[in-house]
Amino acid sequence: MTDDKDVLRDVWFGRIPTCFTLYQDEITEREAEPYYLLLPRISYLTLVTDKVKKHFQKVMRQDEVSEIWFEYEGTPLKWHYPIGLLFDLHASNTALPWSITVHFKNFPEKDLLHCHSKDVIEAHFMACIKEADALKHKSQVINEMQKKDHKQLWMGLQNDKFEQFWAINRKLMEYPPEDNGFRYIPFRIYQATTERPFIQKLFRPIASGGQLHTLGDLLKDVCPSAITPEDGEQKTQVMIHGIEPMLETPIQWLSEHMSYPDNFLHISIIPRPTD
Amino acid sequence: VSCSMAGEEDFFLEEKRFKQYCEDFVKHSQQIGDGWEWRTSKDLGDGYLSKTHFQVRHRHIPPDLKEKNNDNTEPTLFAHVEEPLDDSQAAGVGSTEEVVRYEYHVLYSSSYQVPVLYFRACFLDGRPLTLDEIWGSVHASYQAHLQEGPWDTITQQEHPILGQPFFVLHPCRTNEFISAVLGGSQKHHRHTNYIILWLSTVGPVVGLNLPLSYAKLAPEQSTDTD
Repeated sequence: MTDDKDVLRDVWFGRIPTCFTLYQDEITEREAEPYYLLLPRISYLTLVTDKVKKHFQKVMRQDEVSEIWFEYEGTPLKWHYPIGLLFDLHASNTALPWSITVHFKNFPEKDLLHCHSKDVIEAHFMACIKEADALKHKSQVINEMQKKDHKQLWMGLQNDKFEQFWAINRKLMEYPPEDNGFRYIPFRIYQATTERPFIQKLFRPIASGGQLHTLGDLLKDVCPSAITPEDGEQKTQVMIHGIEPMLETPIQWLSEHMSYPDNFLHISIIPRPTD
Repeated sequence: VSCSMAGEEDFFLEEKRFKQYCEDFVKHSQQIGDGWEWRTSKDLGDGYLSKTHFQVRHRHIPPDLKEKNNDNTEPTLFAHVEEPLDDSQAAGVGSTEEVVRYEYHVLYSSSYQVPVLYFRACFLDGRPLTLDEIWGSVHASYQAHLQEGPWDTITQQEHPILGQPFFVLHPCRTNEFISAVLGGSQKHHRHTNYIILWLSTVGPVVGLNLPLSYAKLAPEQSTDTD
């Protein structure tokens, strides 16, 4: 019987085989070969692509190289979204490897945040964790931690160290014994078709009568168009970490076991493939 | 502003109250022509305050600032004045004028239950200003304030409704200074417009000033949101 803790490992060690190709209009001194990499679902593009950058910079002139950015089928990829979210949202029902195009010019200022250093990624990651704890615990747990604990969360992510990360993160997954869950669930729901980047609202994991709210309850409340109509077929899939959890799953359990390292449940609503 | 007020009751702003304060704020803005409007999102019905203004930035001091023909119909909130050049440079038309479009949005954060200020600026050709370029326009004394203020930092973030990059004043300590200012019993300040109070404090740091007439928004004019 699978232990719940195994789910934590499966989430952490999820990988997406990716092929990086240099954009054809970039000026090169030699032909640029594609670069293959297994990307961690739980990390961020600019955190794990140093080798990709080095590989392509080798064939380019220094003056042709400015801030790197990534694009999939014409859509600039937001580095501040976890990789697994980007894949589920844009490419989950396409053939592997995921084909990403690499750019070094014409940074799309209107679409992407700048990422000049790893510090920017760390700041973003920690801001997400803090916001998640504001929702779960009124920030009490994160504020009680020392700076070195915060640092350990970041280092655990950066260095792909499951145990190091969870030694601290487990505290963010606890709740007072008198409660049955967090105060509110940190979640964001994404749909590629909307201008709004995501939906985020206050949602309690426990109903006033004490019952556990489910994933289905969350969707009904926040994004009812994602739920199957009584008649007819389900036109969309609800995806987290590349799978479709049952709608009956308690949202408290999902929050504890299938959040990303930033402590948010990032949920994609995507078109269901027709075949 | 030192904000260690242990035991001070936290003044959280509920979303309904936020919307009401914004409505009152916009009404006053319309009366004095200050340019704020409320924008409602089409899909979920939430919204935000928005103001756009144009400002002429001068790279050098023109020979006579007062005589300068300013075609801007928008009131210029402030003009950035740099070190005076020596006479040989100031005499001619040595000023590069650039028109900058500033946008300020006030959104509600349900996670922190506070308002959050988003802003961005771009030249007329669409090129966005970097944070450093925006800082160049902020009066020096406010630049110092940023170091002491109860706002942790300004970072670039994705606008939660528009999905585009904006600069944001980090909200997680807003409650500290609001509680410090409102202090005491919340009952006394029930009708104080939280938005006016908050925006008049954080706005100037990023080049946004509220005309003093907002302070005259009397309690009787505010809608009782009970």
